[in-house]
Amino acid sequence: MVEYTIPDATSADHRDLATTLGVDAPESGDVTWDLLAGQVQPRGDSAFGSRGEAIRTDLAGRLDRDVLERERETIANEIGRLPAVRDVGVPDGPDGPYTTVAEPGWRLYDHLLEVGFFESLDENLPRFAADQIETTTRELILADPLSSALDDVGFDEAEKTALLTAVANNDERLARWVPSNQIPEGVEFETETVPPLHQRAMGGTLLWIRGLDRHLWQNEVMITDEILDDAVGYVKAMLGGLFVSATAACDLAGDGRFTDEQLTAAFTAGAAVQIVSQEDLLHDVFYITDDMRAPSELR
Amino acid sequence: MALRNDRAVQAARDIELREIDDGYTLVGGPEESVTQQHDTDRIPEVDVDQEMLSDTGDDPESWLMYGGNYEQHRATTADTITPENVGDLELEYELSVGTGSSMEGTPIVVPGDPPVMYQTNGPNHMKAIDPREGEVLWSYTYAPPIGVELCCDDNNRGAAVLGDTVYMTTLDSGVVALDRYTGEEVWHTSTADHTEGYSATWAPVIRDGTLYTGSAGGEYGVLGFVAALDAESGEIQWQTDTLPEDEWVGASREHGCGTTWMTPTIDEDREVLYTAVANPGPDFDGTVRPGPNFPTCGTISLDLESGEFQWGFQSSPHDVWDYDSVAPRVLVRDVEVEGDSMDIVAGSDKTGWVYMMDAESGQLHERSQEICQHINMWEMIPHISQDERTPFVPGAPGGNDWQPPSYNPATGLVYVVHQNYPQDLYWRYEEFDQGNPYWGGGLDDPASEFPDEWNGAITAFAAVDPATGERVWRDWIESEDDLYMWGGSLSTATGLVFNGTQNGNLVAYDGESGERLWEHGFDVPISASPMSWYDPGEEKQYVAVQVGGSGWLRQGPRGDTLAVFSMGN
Repeated sequence: MVEYTIPDATSADHRDLATTLGVDAPESGDVTWDLLAGQVQPRGDSAFGSRGEAIRTDLAGRLDRDVLERERETIANEIGRLPAVRDVGVPDGPDGPYTTVAEPGWRLYDHLLEVGFFESLDENLPRFAADQIETTTRELILADPLSSALDDVGFDEAEKTALLTAVANNDERLARWVPSNQIPEGVEFETETVPPLHQRAMGGTLLWIRGLDRHLWQNEVMITDEILDDAVGYVKAMLGGLFVSATAACDLAGDGRFTDEQLTAAFTAGAAVQIVSQEDLLHDVFYITDDMRAPSELR
Repeated sequence: MALRNDRAVQAARDIELREIDDGYTLVGGPEESVTQQHDTDRIPEVDVDQEMLSDTGDDPESWLMYGGNYEQHRATTADTITPENVGDLELEYELSVGTGSSMEGTPIVVPGDPPVMYQTNGPNHMKAIDPREGEVLWSYTYAPPIGVELCCDDNNRGAAVLGDTVYMTTLDSGVVALDRYTGEEVWHTSTADHTEGYSATWAPVIRDGTLYTGSAGGEYGVLGFVAALDAESGEIQWQTDTLPEDEWVGASREHGCGTTWMTPTIDEDREVLYTAVANPGPDFDGTVRPGPNFPTCGTISLDLESGEFQWGFQSSPHDVWDYDSVAPRVLVRDVEVEGDSMDIVAGSDKTGWVYMMDAESGQLHERSQEICQHINMWEMIPHISQDERTPFVPGAPGGNDWQPPSYNPATGLVYVVHQNYPQDLYWRYEEFDQGNPYWGGGLDDPASEFPDEWNGAITAFAAVDPATGERVWRDWIESEDDLYMWGGSLSTATGLVFNGTQNGNLVAYDGESGERLWEHGFDVPISASPMSWYDPGEEKQYVAVQVGGSGWLRQGPRGDTLAVFSMGN
């Protein structure tokens, strides 16, 4: 079985990440989560903490710890199963291995939807902005429980760092994703039907993962190994983001090991990773140009 | 028979297509629909039954539905006009239809002595015509209500017929049935609320007593559907939303669009229909509708009897380019592929390729070689800066917009029209400011800068082998005024392919080689798709095409001509 990993961040990504955090990049250029954890300082942003506290208060007693922990574990199992999914190659129908991979995520999503989790996050978290993204990245790096949780489900240093760059280096992209309650009146379509931002991030992630079976199967004649590698890589990244959100939700419902700042950072980062990765998946796996496609065997 | 005394024509002239902030609306016109009878006694009694409809593709004397047959081949079996003699094809007459609004329609012809042509054009105007003489037998204009919203024009692309009745869609998202001998209204059914942005512009299709129609309004946040109506009563039998609930996040589906704004294709063997599905809504901001937005910008198959979903295929998932799939799907049976035989649904799309799908499963058999150029396509995601402009080809009109392809059984090739013109999408990245719109974005046509790679031709007309996806030939078409080529093609049993250009030329091609064999020039663009029939009473094969500018962008000068060409045995 070959290990398929989320696409590596580039050296430029690493430099951007280090610059954003005010850290000197090593000569080798390789910036890692561990390296950053030894150098970055928390920002001491009181608003960040108060937002986490507000979420904690808002959702107190509404989350089912058993459901969250059970599905978090099954999501972790699905992350571990991804190399086997890759080995399957092109699914043999529209309901194949990717549909299975998404299932625990859907169960988690349904529970969060039921208890008003997504609305609460829209209510208590700000719109993506450069400052907030930077603070999120710092807190994320310093959140030991999160880092070790990602270790436990098979994210190596390079992959963890790729998750960080997905958050830290994409503030402008992320800024286009606006919480539904901050959409102004008078835009060109009805805003009441726009789901909360974090629901869009997680729901979109799950739709993309499930949709891979149909997409890869239907387009088999154009699918290459590179497309399949990218598909599994971005699924891992999206599930990594979802796992970060799930871990924070479990903490909220259970032990409370996260600080308020870390809670805010985890929810923000979880959504950010899911958003960036689904856009990248779209680009590299769903939009198949002639340059990317497998050569036709019929002409 | 002077059209100046035709009240229905006058009523259509009184309806003004007025540009508004987000499209067009209709003002003026009659309070009630108007029928003007002329020589209705000339219409012979012919019971257009199911057998005639099923066989019309094989019958050189009839053209009983928009696509020429249920498979939408747009092919005639009339064989008087050949590659050898087409150079002698002559204009029989030009008929002024008297109301020169949108001219995108394909007439239908019911055989008889004389045959009777039913011809439509915008705004919701229909005529019964004696096509031998070029004389109007009756005229009808539907009275559109106030508040109709139209993205693009007041199009009507054709009629359907069954028994004693002829049908057309109405711009307020309805279907009207007329007594085909008198032009009088039999029933009208609304399929959706036009005040919400729904409209209808295509020709419906009828099979086994059921009329199938679709939905338009994809720039107005509607929810797309396909509807089946009892052809006798107008009662809606089923109406299937195109967007499955479990494929969308939360309530984003409610305004997710996915309209179906061209004529469905009927598969009588499988008892299903195939139809193109248009863009998701809102058009340009995908962040409020995450996921693939299945099955927008693609093809779906529905059960004819129940409307139940069979399969869907997307050519531009999560589209933010307005690459809606529109053109009628073409069903090609018994395609020989490496020793096997399969039925293929060919979808020629705005993405600039033709998709050959397995009719049974929806799986892609092959994607064609590119028809238009692909420059910077799908590259501007994510959209991050209002200053970032990337001219791209194909632009929002495609590729293949609504222009119906034809399939020529003599050559085994599918003929498609693809636009090839750079556009810019721009995005206003705005700081959050309560009360001010920020989703804004739009389309520059043409692009502010043309990419170096662009070849200067605005349109490609091409032949594609459905078995392999090979682009067998391609005719690049230029336009001095940068007009798009806005009509589809006609194939003949003798291997000819006719198409009208934006330069006003009706062209006959050798379908095998792509050589231009004959042309006839008009002084305004052709935006419609030609058709043909054989009249045994006159011993002539006719080719008819509507002439006049039409369409969404740079339509060119209007016209109001129905041109009919003929050749005797």
